[in-house]
Amino acid sequence: MPAIADRNSSPFKEMVATRSGDIARFNGCCTPQKRSLRSNAAAAKESPVSTPMKLKSPRRRLNSNPNSPANGIKGDFNEKPMKKNWNPKDFEQMRAVKEALHVSTAPSTVVCRQYEQKRVLEFCKVCVAQEKAGSLYVCGCPGTGKSLSMEKVKQQVIEWATMEGLQSPEVLAMNCTSLANTSDIFSKILGKHQPKKKLTGSTSPSQHLQNLYSSKQSLSGSKMMLIIADELDYLITKDRAVLHDLFMLTTFPFSKCILLGIANSIDLADRFLPRLQSLNCKPMVVTFRAYSKDQILSILQERLSVLPYIVFQQQALELCARKVAAASGDMRKALCVCRSAAEIHEAELRECASNLSLTSVEGEFISQQTAPALEIFQSQENNTVRIDHMALALSKAFRSPIVDTIQSLPQHQQIILCSAVKFFRGGKKDTTVGELNKSYIDICKSSLIPPVGILEFLSILRVLNDQGLFKLGQSRDDKSKRVTLKVDEADISFALQGVRFFRNCLQ
Amino acid sequence: MGREKEKQNPSEKALNLLRTRLSNPNFIFKPLSDSPDSNYSKLKFIISSSVTEACNNSILLLGPRGSGKVAVLELVLGDLLQQYPEVISVIRLNGLLHSDDNCALKEIAQQLCVEHQLLFSKVASFDDNSQFMIAMLRECGLAHKTIIFVLNEFDYFAQGKQRLLYSLLDAMQSVTSQAVVIGVSCRLDVDQLLEKRVRSRFSHRKLLFLPPSKEDTERFMEHILSLPVDSSLPHNYTVEFNARLKKILSDERFKELINTYLSFNSTIGHLVRFLFQAVSYLDLDVGFLSLENFKTALSSMQRQPKLECIREYKSIHDSFQTSDYYARNVCLRAFEHLLQHQLISFADNRGHNQSVEFRPVKLLISLAELHQGLKSYRLCPMFYLDLIKIGFWILPLVQACKLHKIPAFDSFLVCYVNYYCCGASFLPLKMVKVAFSRQLS
Repeated sequence: MPAIADRNSSPFKEMVATRSGDIARFNGCCTPQKRSLRSNAAAAKESPVSTPMKLKSPRRRLNSNPNSPANGIKGDFNEKPMKKNWNPKDFEQMRAVKEALHVSTAPSTVVCRQYEQKRVLEFCKVCVAQEKAGSLYVCGCPGTGKSLSMEKVKQQVIEWATMEGLQSPEVLAMNCTSLANTSDIFSKILGKHQPKKKLTGSTSPSQHLQNLYSSKQSLSGSKMMLIIADELDYLITKDRAVLHDLFMLTTFPFSKCILLGIANSIDLADRFLPRLQSLNCKPMVVTFRAYSKDQILSILQERLSVLPYIVFQQQALELCARKVAAASGDMRKALCVCRSAAEIHEAELRECASNLSLTSVEGEFISQQTAPALEIFQSQENNTVRIDHMALALSKAFRSPIVDTIQSLPQHQQIILCSAVKFFRGGKKDTTVGELNKSYIDICKSSLIPPVGILEFLSILRVLNDQGLFKLGQSRDDKSKRVTLKVDEADISFALQGVRFFRNCLQ
Repeated sequence: MGREKEKQNPSEKALNLLRTRLSNPNFIFKPLSDSPDSNYSKLKFIISSSVTEACNNSILLLGPRGSGKVAVLELVLGDLLQQYPEVISVIRLNGLLHSDDNCALKEIAQQLCVEHQLLFSKVASFDDNSQFMIAMLRECGLAHKTIIFVLNEFDYFAQGKQRLLYSLLDAMQSVTSQAVVIGVSCRLDVDQLLEKRVRSRFSHRKLLFLPPSKEDTERFMEHILSLPVDSSLPHNYTVEFNARLKKILSDERFKELINTYLSFNSTIGHLVRFLFQAVSYLDLDVGFLSLENFKTALSSMQRQPKLECIREYKSIHDSFQTSDYYARNVCLRAFEHLLQHQLISFADNRGHNQSVEFRPVKLLISLAELHQGLKSYRLCPMFYLDLIKIGFWILPLVQACKLHKIPAFDSFLVCYVNYYCCGASFLPLKMVKVAFSRQLS
């Protein structure tokens, strides 16, 4: 299980005192200066230039260092601080923003998943209180917060058990992709139960566990075991034995395990564990639906609320949320797009700065033209990430590189693509190299372009196959290999519409 | 004698200099990477900001083969290793070798051991290796060192269960590790090959390596072939060399030559190979590049094995030539030779009942290839070439047989071409012989 930071405080507290004496400023060059080490937290000194306290909450900042010349933030606050716009030229601010939006930063509170978390927590509480075994299956698309929620539940169960005075359960959290053998999961569970005992050769770990759970005295008085198995579908083997045995462990009379399985497919339990239904111990299913637009928006805002300045325009965030919700509802993608929009904004400002520095050398008569640019540059309002940056980031993330590539292909490769499109228009799905060659030669003839020979034709086909535009089959004879077009005809027509020759060709 | 030697030396030195340049990918891709918009700067920015900000990142480099993906990556890594010597370690994997998970993890563990001067045990199991990798990632994260994973032939890693990709990308989801995963592939749709959960963890950054535009290509050629003025070569020689080079590059014929060459593969790698050939044809006596060098290079690169056969075939048949040029057995042998070399094939699949003479045949090589083969064969009379220029349709056997170089064929060919122009696309051999003998009489 990837170790999410198990510090009790917010992860941003770490970033508070991370400066050592000399900070290099982000001076608009291509490579940002090396930042100081996070581990120097203890040795943080006040630097006259930098703003170490910036990332604390505004209230705390008021009480602490009053003489910090924070960029863009003046000293006279009232009780309710108004969020100023950020200064993207400041390296530290930029870094803080990117870190706030990074996927690996665990937020302190998990918004939008309270209902699901509550359900799982209640289930675990019941099991721990009654010392009863049970199984639960968590499913949902990638990026919907399953693993994150399970981590929280794990902590909450332990806290609750300690509070209630019950024996807090042992926890075994693991990712099933790290198992070399699917049946290793049993040895791991066994290892947790009896860490000192070595296995004797004859019984398999699975059998051993079953024996253990069937007799009363072997595990009396020991704690419950909370097993969180991530990416459960890696345990699916051909005979489905491992998965079945794992869930069956909870059905034994003296079983001590509470099993939480996480996977993507909704019907895993139905498809792979049909026998459990007859025993009336089908696992409870908690579905994590894909995030809706509002949920994505609120999550983004919650993440950005730890920063004391406004980074994104509201419309930009809404656009991102809407687009990502419509596409997949994957939170990771939304975070990635926002980070990329911030980077685009940063790059634009950097370019602006370098242009200005160039023009400032060139003399006075240009200064009239650059004056308005300077004004825009210096005004704070325009330093938020705008909707056009977000739109650009979205198009980069969602667009496939096919259209660009087709447009930049050399001429003969484009002609071959066109000939394939024309050939497959009749409804056929694949053809042989020889036929395609004929079609290609026809097109070349009609436009008086000398066609390339068969050897070059084959090598071009191979190049296009490598790029994923065609699919070449196998055959002993070169000319009878099957060729399929893997790109949509609409994409090709769109890409080549700028050239009249291809437009006529594809009509 | 001494003076000649001196005169030789600069051109030899120049030749060596140019050849070294053209074999060095660093030098080739540096001029293309200078603008801030280039892939080099973007890649460098992404990796260096990951290093300095201590965050994890993943990126895909896509583009056709020969467009410089690995070269630019190595340039960036070289620069960054100089800038941050102790902070970065690079692990390189190749999909062709390491697509199996066990193998890949072993290789990762081995390379990590080498980087950090630890002992590697060959008997370590899969579990051990993966735990080692995760532990190393955590350690390096704490020590603020970034590990850069370079996965060449990324599409091969996307086969099977993608466990390696999943574990790498999953490890990057935690705060404790600091890694950058760079995938290099020539398949454009490689992220469609990834499983849902792997794709979700991948950060969707893609850098596309497209072939350069025409202007960029011209500038590139000029830059790479011009001799530096401040080298050890004599100054006036260098100036003269560069001036002549400029003249060649702006010549219309040269531009057409390059356009034809690049019209089916316009990547930099392809161009560099051509330039290397051209430079190698530099005449050491003259000491300067000429248009002829480029033309020779072009023809040598476009030489095809079948055209070699045509020439070779001619030399075989010279030995068979008798005074009776149109001897039947010679013709037949010529015919069989052509069949063998697959320059022609029978147009129908009927059985071998009919004698060879009466079966229709068609030419397997295209007109352009025939044209080129004949052109490169210098002794071929112009008349044949003119005939070829008439049309683009498939030629029958006899026109291929005219490679046999029998002069009496000339007049026969006239009548035959007339026959041909009526629209027939192939001729049986017998008819040809009939027409031919009619001509001779």
